[in-house]
Amino acid sequence: MSWFAGLLGPWRGFAVTLRQMFRPKVTTQYPEEKRVKPQRFHGRHVLNRYPDGMEKCIGCELCAGVCPARCIYVRGADNPPEDPVSPGERFGYVYEINMLRCIFCALCVEACPTEAITMTHLFEMSVTSREDAIYTKDELLVEPDGTPRHPQPEGPLVDLDELRRGHGWLRATAPSGRAAYEGIVAWTPSATYGEPPPERGQAGVTDETDGES
Amino acid sequence: MADAPDQVSITLDGRVVEVPRGALLIAAAIEAGTYIPHFCWHPRMKPVGMCRMCLVEIDTPRGKMLTTSCTTPVADGMVVETSSPVVKKAQEGVIEFLLINHPLDCPVCDKGGECPLQDQTLAYGPGDGRFVEEKRHYPKPIPISDLVALDRERCILCARCTRFSEEISGDPLIEFVDRGNHVEVNTFPNHPFTSYFSGNTVQICPVGALTARPYRFRARPWDLEAVEAVSTVDSVHSKVSLEASMNEIVRISGVDCDPTNQGWLSDKDRFVYEHLLADDRVVVPLIANGDGFREASWGEAVGLAASRLADLGGAVAGLGGARSTNEDAYVFSRFLRGVVGTPHLDAQLDDGLAPEFAAAVEPRALIDDLDDADAILLWGPDLKEELPVLYLRVRKAATAGAKLVVVHPRRTGLDDVAAHTIRYRPGEGPALLRRLAAGEGDLAEARDALGAGKVVALVGRPGLAEPAELAEAVAAFALTLDDARILPLVRRGNVFGALDMGLAPTLLPGRVSVDDAERRRALAARWGSLPDGVGMGATDILEAAASGRIGALVLLGVDPVRDHPRPDLARRALERAFVVALDLFVTDSTRHADVVLPVAGLGEIQGTVTNLEGRVQKLNRVVPPPGQARPAWSILDDLAAALGSELEADAVEKIFEELATLAPAYEGLTWDRFDWAEGRDGVVVPLEGVTPPLRHVPSDPGLAVVSERPALHLARVLYDDGVLVRHCPSLASLAPEAAAHLHPRDASVLAVREGDRVRLEGVGVVELPVVLDPTLAEGTVYVPFNLAETAALGAVPSVRIDVVREAGS
Ligand code: SF4
Ligand code: SF4
Ligand code: SF4
Ligand code: FES
Repeated sequence: MSWFAGLLGPWRGFAVTLRQMFRPKVTTQYPEEKRVKPQRFHGRHVLNRYPDGMEKCIGCELCAGVCPARCIYVRGADNPPEDPVSPGERFGYVYEINMLRCIFCALCVEACPTEAITMTHLFEMSVTSREDAIYTKDELLVEPDGTPRHPQPEGPLVDLDELRRGHGWLRATAPSGRAAYEGIVAWTPSATYGEPPPERGQAGVTDETDGES
Repeated sequence: MADAPDQVSITLDGRVVEVPRGALLIAAAIEAGTYIPHFCWHPRMKPVGMCRMCLVEIDTPRGKMLTTSCTTPVADGMVVETSSPVVKKAQEGVIEFLLINHPLDCPVCDKGGECPLQDQTLAYGPGDGRFVEEKRHYPKPIPISDLVALDRERCILCARCTRFSEEISGDPLIEFVDRGNHVEVNTFPNHPFTSYFSGNTVQICPVGALTARPYRFRARPWDLEAVEAVSTVDSVHSKVSLEASMNEIVRISGVDCDPTNQGWLSDKDRFVYEHLLADDRVVVPLIANGDGFREASWGEAVGLAASRLADLGGAVAGLGGARSTNEDAYVFSRFLRGVVGTPHLDAQLDDGLAPEFAAAVEPRALIDDLDDADAILLWGPDLKEELPVLYLRVRKAATAGAKLVVVHPRRTGLDDVAAHTIRYRPGEGPALLRRLAAGEGDLAEARDALGAGKVVALVGRPGLAEPAELAEAVAAFALTLDDARILPLVRRGNVFGALDMGLAPTLLPGRVSVDDAERRRALAARWGSLPDGVGMGATDILEAAASGRIGALVLLGVDPVRDHPRPDLARRALERAFVVALDLFVTDSTRHADVVLPVAGLGEIQGTVTNLEGRVQKLNRVVPPPGQARPAWSILDDLAAALGSELEADAVEKIFEELATLAPAYEGLTWDRFDWAEGRDGVVVPLEGVTPPLRHVPSDPGLAVVSERPALHLARVLYDDGVLVRHCPSLASLAPEAAAHLHPRDASVLAVREGDRVRLEGVGVVELPVVLDPTLAEGTVYVPFNLAETAALGAVPSVRIDVVREAGS
């Protein structure tokens, strides 16, 4: 009878297909319709500023050092004393990310001692030449008021609002790393104005109360 | 207990190990494979026990005791714990204490990533600190010299820098000031840290307190790519690591090589990489065009050079090669002799020593011989200015007890540690030598010092106005002593390698005389042909070129207008002849060239070089040459091909293989040997059996030039206006003021005061301010060689001095 069981086999498979046909669909009509991304989505990077407009990046090259794809190029320079670019002695005067090589692992975000580099929700970055895929400081750094810049204009694929989304997702605790500071907002999320909202799960914020994603 | 008499056995964490008697516990433990964390202890300096990081527990009759392993010598049967709970607690305490006032600017600190404080905090620290109060603050980095910046917040007061300055380099310009919580390292008021060795303190500072200003924020340790090489700034060939980021060398660090530099470098060795990045570096072939040059293709430039060289037949001469690798020098030698067919070639510019003497004087001393010498005779250049790393080695030997006799026309850097210093007026050297040999009068003590035990004689030219033969005479005197060895001193980069490769009219590759028939046959068989006879040396070549008897000059990395004792002659020669120059820059000499071909520099090529003791070491490559620059051997290969000959120089390994079969002293060396442990410190090539008959060494030469006019002491300074320093922005600014130094008594005879101007007439005329120098021999005027203002003077035995009077005074 084993030959009969063999004949039955394929029909069992089709049963799976049949069952799925009556389940709700997950397909969305991208790009007209976009799915809400998880809060810690790894999209395009931005370089942030402090509320006073100073650049957070100090050109320390830790992000470049940790990058497994070796796609970040940073050079530091002395801050001009009369007109400092960042707090302290050093600032990043060259900052480039080759988005073709980037694997969006966010290790750079994790390595950054000043939370200068963070990731947003925008991932639509198609380009027509290899050079365009190299994002320089001009494109990565936010305006002094916190508005992110992007090489392409707003369009059906490029929702610039997504550049404001995403949070400094790493710091589940305070910068000193002590659990006692859990829940105290000690980071600033990417590219936004004003007082940063705390991350989900911290300071009593839950999925329901989190307005953004 | 230990079997060997010079060994003792100790118990290290329960393991019995044999260690050298008398060694410090920390060194013995590290040697035996147990690392003990430390900050202040440095294997090349005396211990102080400042930082307390190296605490270990030792069994004593009164029980276990914590003690600093860097100040405790091993004793037979010692029982040591390096990681017991007590030791761990002590280590955590020390780290926590060191971090109390530490700013932790690791992300912006040049030491971050290679910082012993970071590493040991991670490995041995408590992970947390209890100090929450405000830290001590100082203004962020203050420049303490043109090369070094100091960040006092980061200093952990280990005293490595201050000890180095006092103990090793002998210029204690940096010290601890203040007391208690306010102790800080600093310089003396209004006296910057102008040591020639300041860069070493940056390298040994265990934190980022002392940083190098040229390297500040240039790169981080993790984006540096490093290879080992040696510094070709001078002929000591200190071992270095060349560190590059994004295809630019951004840092040179000293590597501890026991027989040569023992980890130290001069600041010139350390910051010389800047010239490689100079804007005006020649990176495309140039052809003379009116007053300037135009860019050309390799084909056009090489074709033009070759066609003119071919037209001239043998009326061609070659100068240079002393700054190149052995392979370049060998190919240059083969090119000139075998392809062009000229016997006229010279790596030196009559500013060094006789080639046979420099290449093969016997018995030759090694630098290491200084350490067990009973006496050292230094009659030659001021080592601190010319061969600074050798200065450190001599200083070390002299402080350890060797009797040092320094003979020089003025105070040298080594006078402080010398047992006897003898001054003389240039020109009166031979007479002085006779008196010294006889031990006459006040020289009796110095003669006695040299009379007993092992003597190392360091001989060279104290100044360029003195004859090279003087050094030979001094060597001949030294050889009359019981147990003396000679170390000839010539400064230029790879001059000893160039001589070994036959870049001298009287030498063939391998320290062989040019009339050694058997060697000539072997070379002619390989090279195709070999010109007959002894060629001309540098001065004769230049004279022949100036008078038109030599039609073309091939220059390999050489600047005769600046380096030859007669700058006017060099200029006339270069103006008249057809000149092909292989160089990194358009210099005062190559300005007159008809074709300039860009060559690759340090770190851009591989090759071997030979130092003043005959040690062959390898240079590695870390960056590609800029633009179209190429190794000299490959350019010469193209030139030879355009002249219709085949040099077979298509890879540096092949050239080395060829020279190792044809140059007797280099026989048996293999290219890979330098990559293995046995060849890592280089290989000293033997002198035995290949020494050419030395030309008559004058023991009583009629060299004295007695003149009523002031004798000229024209000596090199470390930072001159030479082509390398001029293209290193950090070093160029350190060149001393050009001045005519006079003894106060001579000055009063001339009725000049410090700052007055005098006109000196040698080959050319220069006008300089007067500096009074009571250490100078009377009847002498000292002028630093090769500064922009002194370049025209030329090296003449004596000069005419005229005082320039201000109009109306
Ligand atoms: S982004 Fe952050 S990690 Fe990268 S260089 Fe700037 S400060 Fe350093
Ligand atoms: S010295 Fe070391 S520990 Fe201190 S800031 Fe620099 S890298 Fe960090
Ligand atoms: S500056 Fe550096 S080397 Fe000098 S005492 Fe301070 S930590 Fe030690
Ligand atoms: S290393 Fe021993 S006290 Fe510093």
